[in-house]
Parts: sequence; structure tokens; C-alpha cells
Amino acid sequence: MMNFGVGEFRKMESYSSPKSSPRGGRSPVVSRQDSSGTLKTTISLGKNPTIVHSGPFYLMKEPSGEAEITGATNLMAHYGLEHSYGKFSGKKVKEQLSTFLPNLPGCDGMPNMENSTLRSVIEKPPIGGKELHMLSSVQLAGFRLHPGPLPEQYRTLNTTPARKNKNKQKKAKNKDGTPLQDNASQADGVGGLEAAHEKKHKKQKRHEDDKERKKRKKEKKRKKQRHSPEPGTLGATGGVIGVPGPSNLGMPTSVGGIGGPMGGNLMMPTQTSMF
Amino acid sequence: MEQPLENLELHLEMFIENVRQINIIVSDFQPQGQNGLNQKINSLVSGLQEVEKLKNQLGDVYVPFEVFEYIDQDKNPNLYTKDCMDKALTKNEEVRGKIDSYRKFKEHMLVEMYKTFPNEMYQMYRAIRPE
Repeated sequence: MMNFGVGEFRKMESYSSPKSSPRGGRSPVVSRQDSSGTLKTTISLGKNPTIVHSGPFYLMKEPSGEAEITGATNLMAHYGLEHSYGKFSGKKVKEQLSTFLPNLPGCDGMPNMENSTLRSVIEKPPIGGKELHMLSSVQLAGFRLHPGPLPEQYRTLNTTPARKNKNKQKKAKNKDGTPLQDNASQADGVGGLEAAHEKKHKKQKRHEDDKERKKRKKEKKRKKQRHSPEPGTLGATGGVIGVPGPSNLGMPTSVGGIGGPMGGNLMMPTQTSMF
Repeated sequence: MEQPLENLELHLEMFIENVRQINIIVSDFQPQGQNGLNQKINSLVSGLQEVEKLKNQLGDVYVPFEVFEYIDQDKNPNLYTKDCMDKALTKNEEVRGKIDSYRKFKEHMLVEMYKTFPNEMYQMYRAIRPE
């Protein structure tokens, strides 16, 4: 009489080698805990071999122990990553590497040279493990350079700073350009004021004109100071003109009526009235 | 863990700054700049020494290979994190859908089996029922 489960029977089938025959294996007499629990049969050999089901027959296995965390739970919430997910999904992440490393010079527009990838560093690691020493003066002699600019082929590395400089140069040009306009306005005199009126929407020009006028005022003051013997009257005029002082505060409002919606800088009409 | 990483970042930034300054010195080299260049080269060496020292403190930091691919392609590595999270969420929803489907299937199956094999199902219920 042999008593075994179906699962075990399958196991025996798979072991076709004589060395692993059931006789040489575990004794069938020894009772074993049935792991599958699916089907128990009793096979009797002899003249009339019979197969008798000796246990209950179940279609299903016993349910296996459930894992603590499965895909049924919201794993993003479980691991507290909702905030991070919201951060990335909420706004569009800019694709360029330079947005991740804004302070890295030469990161933007740097040509991708061959074998300069991080992957190549991992695949073919550089020679390492040696101690690093400071270079001696003899070794530094190898870095003695010829005076002059870099050869063409290496200048690409300077592209990014050059761009920044270009912007600065543009700004500088603007700065340089404005005095020319000022000169023109100076040459025009009162006509220059009219021109300024026409172009009052251009703030920069306004600022520049104001500066010029302030300079002129100061010069006039100095002249007056030289000629006039009464310093008290000078102080009064100073207040009217708009030289820094408390009396100055009311000026822009009165000027605003003339020049339109201009800021505190727009004292030019009153200033010109002084001339 | 944050401190060694911050330290490394600081040293790398200093190293990059040194390289940038060398680039400026070299781009239009003047003979009087040789001493400055030599100092800068030695400061590069000392920078590398510092990075080498920090290596041991960062032995347990693992970076996925894919991140390097993103960087090599001049892409923002945050995109990798975003893609990973998107994939994880999609997979999570997929698996949840499968689990729900299986659960419904099980319920239907039990109902049908109770109808077809009431006795067997009752026996099974008694067998697996916790005492």
C-alpha cells in the first residue's frame, strides 16, 4: 500500500533517474505533512489494483498568507512620496541639464565629445588607487605656456562666458549710447526739453536727462554761490530746484501735471522754468 | 548622510571653479600669469586629494545607471525621478486593477461553486474555517 499526494506523485515522475527512485528516497510509511492538501489517494497493488480516494478532495489550495503590502494599496501614499510626486507632476520639469546645474560653467552648449560620457567612465574606469602628490617645480615646468590666445580648436570651451560677456557688452553699449542722445538734447537746449517731452515714455532717457539737468543745476548753484553774498537765499532756491531737501517733496506732484504721469524724477519742467 | 554629500558637492564646486579660472588664465596667456597658473594646478591636485578622502564616506550611496544616461544626453536628472514615479504609479494602478479583477472573479467563482457543488463547498468551508 502506498499513500501519497498528487503533488508528490508529480515529483516522482520528474525524477526518472534510478538513483532517485522512490524506494531509495523517503520511506512511504513515514507520515508526512501534506503541503498541497489537494488530493489523497490510496493505491493498492496486487491481483486487483485499485485506487481509493482516502481524503477530502478540495479544488482550492489553502489560501497563502497575504503579503503585508501589495499593489492593492496606494504605494505612493504608503511610502509618503505624494509630496515629491506632486512636486514633479505639478509643474513641467525643464529638460536641459543646465537647469539642474545652473552654477556649472560651460554646461550649456558644451559639445558632447567622444568618450566624455559618464557611462564610459564606468565601463572603462580610469587608473586609480594611486596616491596624489603635489607637483614639484620640475613637474610644473611641463605646464609652462606660450603667451597668446588659445588655438581655434580649444576656443569652443569659452562659448558660454562669451555669451554672458556679449550681453554685458550690449548693456555697456546702451550706456555708451545714451550720452550721445544727451549731448543732442544739450545742444538743443530748450528744444531738447521738447524732445524729451515727446519721448517721455522712454524712462531711461528721462533718467539720463534728469542727471544732466541736475548736473547743470549744481553748476549753476556753484556759480550763484560764488556771486551771491547771501547764503540763506541760496538755500531757499535749492529747495525750489529740487536738490535733496525736504522742500523738494512737493515738487513731483506739481510737475506731474505738466509732464503727465511721471515719477519723482520728473522735475525737469520746473527746472527748465528756472532757466 | 547629508553632510558628506554636501561636503563633496562643495569640493566639486570649488574644483570646477578652479578649472574655470585656469581656463580664463590659459585662454589668453600672459607670461606673468605662469606663477598663478602653477598655483592653480596645484590647487587642482589638492582638490582631487580632498575628493579622494571623501570617497570612503560615500561607500553606501548607490546611483542608478539610467541617471548617467540622462546626464550624458544633456537631460535634467530630475526627469529620471519623474519618469520613475510615473512608471511606479502606473504599475501600482495596473496591479491594483488586477487584484480587484481577481477578487471579483473569486467571488463569482465561489457563488457559482456553491450553486453547483453545495455539499463539497460546505465541507471545504468547514475544513478551512478557523476554529
